[in-house]
Amino acid sequence: MSSVTVEPLLRYHRRTEVSGLRKVANSCYSSSSLNCSRQKLFHRGKCKLRLRRRPAAPVVIRASSSSSSNTALAETFESSGDVFFRHSFPVTRTETVEGKIFVRIDQENGKGNWHLTVGCSLPGKWILHWGVSYVNDIGSEWDQPPKHMRPSGSVPVKNYAIETPLKKASGDDSFYEVKIDIDPKSAIAAINFVLKDQETGAWYQHKGRDFKVPLVDYLLEDGTVFGANSFRPFFSNILLKPETQDHTQEPNNVKKEDRKVEGIYEEQPIAKHTAIENSVTVSVRRCPETSKNLLYLETDLPEVVVHWGVCRDAAKNWEIPPGPHPPETVIFKEKALRTLLQAKEDGRGCSGLFTLDEGLAGFLFVLKLNDNTWLKCKGNDFYVPLSSSSSLLAQFTQEHSKDSPVSVKALDQNQGSDTAFTNEIIKEIRNLVSGISSDNSRKVKTKEAQESILQEIEKLAAEAYSIFRSSIPTFKEEVVYEEELEKSPPKKSSGTGSGYEIVLQGFNWESHKSGRWYMELKEKAEDIASLGFTVVWLPPPTESVSPEGYMPKDLYNLNSRYGNIYELKELVGKLHESGLKVLGDAVLNHRCAQYQNQNGIWNIFGGRLNWDDRAVVADDPHFQGRGNKSSGDNFHAAPNIDHSQDFVRKDIKEWMCWLREEIGYDGWRLDFVRGFWGGYVKDYMDATSPYFAVGEYWDSLSYTYGEMDHNQDAHRQRIIDWINATTGSAGAFDVTTKGVLHEALERCEYWRLADEKGKPPGVVGWWPSRAVTFVENHDTGSTQGHWRFPGGKEMQGYAYILTHPGTPAVFFDHIYSSNYRSEIAALIAFRNRHKIHCRSVVEISKAARDVYAAIIDKKIAVKIGPGHFEPPNGPRKWSPALEGRDYKIWESS
Amino acid sequence: MEVSVIGTSQATFCSGGELAPCSRELRFCVPKRNGDALYFLDRNSRRRCRNSRLQLTLTAAAQSEPVRSDSFPVQEPATTPDSINKVKLFVGLPLDVVSDCHSVNHARAITAGLKALKLLGVEGVEVPVWWGLVEKEEMGEYEWSGYLAVAEMVQTVGLKLHVSLCFHGERQHKVSLPRWVLKIGESNHSIFYTDRSGEAYEDCLSLAVDDLPVLDGRTPLQVYKGFCESFRSTFAQFLGSTITGVTMGLGPDGELQYPSHHQPSNNNIPGVGEFQCYDENMKDQLKQHAASLDNPLWGLAGPHDAPTYNQTPDSSPFFNELSGSWQSPYGDFFLSWYSNQLLSHGDSLLSMASDVFTNTGVTTHGRVPLMHSWFKTRSRALENTAGFYSTDGKDAYEAFAEMFAQNSCGMIIPGMDLSDDEQPDQSMSSPEMLLKQIQAACKKHGVGVSGMNSGLRLNGFDRISKNVVGDENNVVDLFTYQRMGAEFFSPEHFPSFTQFARGLNQPFAGLDSDDLPTEETLPVEASVPSNAEMQTA
Repeated sequence: MSSVTVEPLLRYHRRTEVSGLRKVANSCYSSSSLNCSRQKLFHRGKCKLRLRRRPAAPVVIRASSSSSSNTALAETFESSGDVFFRHSFPVTRTETVEGKIFVRIDQENGKGNWHLTVGCSLPGKWILHWGVSYVNDIGSEWDQPPKHMRPSGSVPVKNYAIETPLKKASGDDSFYEVKIDIDPKSAIAAINFVLKDQETGAWYQHKGRDFKVPLVDYLLEDGTVFGANSFRPFFSNILLKPETQDHTQEPNNVKKEDRKVEGIYEEQPIAKHTAIENSVTVSVRRCPETSKNLLYLETDLPEVVVHWGVCRDAAKNWEIPPGPHPPETVIFKEKALRTLLQAKEDGRGCSGLFTLDEGLAGFLFVLKLNDNTWLKCKGNDFYVPLSSSSSLLAQFTQEHSKDSPVSVKALDQNQGSDTAFTNEIIKEIRNLVSGISSDNSRKVKTKEAQESILQEIEKLAAEAYSIFRSSIPTFKEEVVYEEELEKSPPKKSSGTGSGYEIVLQGFNWESHKSGRWYMELKEKAEDIASLGFTVVWLPPPTESVSPEGYMPKDLYNLNSRYGNIYELKELVGKLHESGLKVLGDAVLNHRCAQYQNQNGIWNIFGGRLNWDDRAVVADDPHFQGRGNKSSGDNFHAAPNIDHSQDFVRKDIKEWMCWLREEIGYDGWRLDFVRGFWGGYVKDYMDATSPYFAVGEYWDSLSYTYGEMDHNQDAHRQRIIDWINATTGSAGAFDVTTKGVLHEALERCEYWRLADEKGKPPGVVGWWPSRAVTFVENHDTGSTQGHWRFPGGKEMQGYAYILTHPGTPAVFFDHIYSSNYRSEIAALIAFRNRHKIHCRSVVEISKAARDVYAAIIDKKIAVKIGPGHFEPPNGPRKWSPALEGRDYKIWESS
Repeated sequence: MEVSVIGTSQATFCSGGELAPCSRELRFCVPKRNGDALYFLDRNSRRRCRNSRLQLTLTAAAQSEPVRSDSFPVQEPATTPDSINKVKLFVGLPLDVVSDCHSVNHARAITAGLKALKLLGVEGVEVPVWWGLVEKEEMGEYEWSGYLAVAEMVQTVGLKLHVSLCFHGERQHKVSLPRWVLKIGESNHSIFYTDRSGEAYEDCLSLAVDDLPVLDGRTPLQVYKGFCESFRSTFAQFLGSTITGVTMGLGPDGELQYPSHHQPSNNNIPGVGEFQCYDENMKDQLKQHAASLDNPLWGLAGPHDAPTYNQTPDSSPFFNELSGSWQSPYGDFFLSWYSNQLLSHGDSLLSMASDVFTNTGVTTHGRVPLMHSWFKTRSRALENTAGFYSTDGKDAYEAFAEMFAQNSCGMIIPGMDLSDDEQPDQSMSSPEMLLKQIQAACKKHGVGVSGMNSGLRLNGFDRISKNVVGDENNVVDLFTYQRMGAEFFSPEHFPSFTQFARGLNQPFAGLDSDDLPTEETLPVEASVPSNAEMQTA
């Protein structure tokens, strides 16, 4: 049919054979388009109808003849002044190549020389970045392997790793591999590595962590194999996903003695993403005869569908132009047209010609490579102005004067942003509802669409459920709340102090031993104050079954192993004199009885609060309480107090008020608050209006297969829930932050210090003003050591908590029996100098494997971890202020 | 022909060649559908169009809906359960969706929830707007920010919003009346409903003070009206588009009733409740009423022989099945006065509301209770103490339906999830029959009925479906499912709800399979025809 329609394709005709021409002819045949050349065709007397009806041989002739007769046209398209627009859009798409990484340990010819082979089946400049761990290593940092282990070509990196390039495997060209000799007699416990592609700079890890090949369980000291079977589960768990591994055992028949040993072999699939540059060229020419525009689009992309429409003004609202449309065009949901471009004759890409009416302002399109991959122009639709004189053309030129490559947007449902995806679906539904769906001709697959919508609904519902269930103010609200507080100048608000508090835990697990702790501490009062502390937490003061005071008996008897009531008052007086506030350690969860009931159970109390067994919770069978069920967890070593009893609460309130008045405590540290409902704590706080209060809500973080989860939201949620139950009248120790610091520092996984939202991962990230951050206390450390901070890294912990929001609490031992005193003092002074407070704003700058860095209140910067970080010198000038092992702090000037 | 173009996509015509220009012109001359569009569409013309050659019923169902639902305020008897009759599903937002400090509680959860509902084809959400929150501190000082944020969230997702104006408190969720009202109440207890023992019900003002200047010189009715007007002007941009309906709070729990049964019962059997006519103003009015009937002795107090809250009808003489004084002339005197008080209270509130919301594009509603216990007795005590003079031979609902009709208000009936089988035998209860009775009254007077469930339950869905779509005598245009929250989205509940929602005639579930997206979602936002927004707006 129309000569002009096929014209761009015909440019290739001369170079091609009949089959190619037939294709062209066919596409002409299938087209029903009426365009400008129709007229011309009639004018020349060519037989349009014949062309349409006979696709075979005559077409070839016709096509070639039209080709020759239209050569001039083809050239004019390129050369004539009619072409008012021509632009080449660069397009980058990502191609994914899949391959595998394998790890093999075998023995060479039974000589006792063991090798670890790491290989990869994809082409690339592969580098093995590796290190070793020794048997008695506690930390997770790597060491450089001993010299004799390093294959030739290895380059040391820093002081803990080396890099060895992979080489083409002998025998099989498609593999790249590196061999490392293993000496079974060495003390190397494991080899750790990641694979790095130097071309793309990409790192390949195992499930987001280093590969780790443990050796110690595998090779016995005499160099023989312990047996692959006993070893495999360990290996599998750590190294590879069980479902993807394709392990083949390669038994080596070893002649050495009669022992049969086996090697091991594991694989992991990997995918490498390569960016491929392509381009799309669009030219538009005006056909003077018909006053229509011809748009020719060609690209070197293989098979591609153009998803297009036109617009009438600068608003670029998509419209479907009136037909006829090019061949292989379908209408997509009444909103756009989809045209499959025809393969070019030289096989390199494809092209298409679009005839467009006059009066249209622009041609809009995106390219669809496959179901998940769309090519857009800088995130927008491609736009081609259709009027030579219009301002749109000028605008286009302006916009594209600095051409950046077009990016690929893969609309993969799993990877794409959920919200965006949902919005898309919602829009789809909205469109359907608004009556666009009237085209009966579309009877196509719907099941998958329905399924995906249902899945999306489920996902959303699950999200809503989890938030509702936790029934806490969301983080967003917290911000509002904090800001509200911020507006009023920092004032004494119940339970949170001034906001600038720094707490010293004024004792350790051994402090009772001397019998005169109060007096000893009194001598330190001035010193404590001069270090910059504002609050001191004293040990539990009551008579107690255990000398440390946490098994209280008669609450009104304040003679303890720490000293008597007069000494206590003296100490508190002295601390007050020094300008310090004092926290009393109130043990409210449990109380030791003085008498037995008729069954011989110790559950009758003595002293001034001579409660009977109605004051004991009913659900701990050991103590046969007659109260209500516990409103929290049970502490099994002593009768748990039933706080739901009015008389109990009344007595406790009285007692605490007495302590406030008689002793002069300014606030509370509340022991084991997991044991009873936070609402009762609120009751007590309301009754005693403490200056500062903090509860110990300590339970376990979440671990999966012995490894701490990155997301500790559930853990901090429980603490937040408790604070909420107290309606914020008390803060809580930020156990979450301590836990995350442990992992981050110990395993060199500093990325853990940012949560998924880029906030601090502990309670301090959610409710900073109620978080009391700490590194160690009398339980976790001291002589008990239930959960000791990674040894030698305490200063990193302090660098973190003393620069961050929340109220930091420093452990006694770290000031008075360690070398950290001066360093901590410097940090405290620094915190006070810069007026960092419990609601300061953290901006996390970096949370990488080996370094974490943040800027707080825009005035100080801190990094912890061995990695490198420098605060960016922009409008602010940063100068180093403090530095210690693996931490550094800057202040802006 | 004009009618046909509503909601018909341009593209349909494009493929039809010469019709294309025609359709484009017409599309723009059709008025916004939520406005007065319906007035030039009489039912005949709609019908004609549906039969026309162009198959104009291809307009998506959602387009035709508003035409129908908008039709009841103009008193068109809703008697045509034609093919387009379809129940719109709403879901209630949590009662505490807006917090004390006017922020949106659980905003993230709500956003996710709204999206899920939209995908599910739910029409919209209902939001309870608390008087005690918006006008908390001082009379005439309104703080709407929290609810504005909610309206915006709802609009963004593309759902509709039905607003319930709540002039009552909710003990369970610690929502009370405005502080300044409670303060007035401290010195003037008689603004609250009071029972025989003198105990005041502080979650709602007594209807007896509706027209008394008890609130710093203003009458409660004036205060309610000020609230409604403030709402109207604050939400003007949403009215008629996102906000499609308003429910006027009429009493305890928002329902048109006396707080006669607010004390929880000790067992499964609800008692009969107590008459609430013992505040000073009620007593005065009763006295006057009795005097006007020349029976001053009857106006000295309420029935002396009525049972208390959790007693059974037969436990004392008034409601006794056979010999109760409810059948006596005194009983008739008292019960009709008591019920008429409620009726005229409802009348003045609803007429005020429909006045305020006239020409805003929203429909006005009121809610009545479903007092189903003791329905199968002759004295129907629970309904009577709540204010509905319904006994053997009396049907209070007729009068109430007529009152709703006069004020062009739709009636919301709760408890559509309740079935007779689940009720304990001793309670002589029949939610199903009571519902039928109320619906019949509504039908008779042309009042549009909307449904609501009594609460989240797993086994109520069948009953709801039956009630809203099952019976052609049921004229239910809208069903509000109560209510969003953790339990709503729990794995135990949400799947059942999904099934229920899809089972209703909702866009997503109800579309022919042909109409669903055929492929992955569109990458091109701009490819949505510009008129799509207008059509759904």
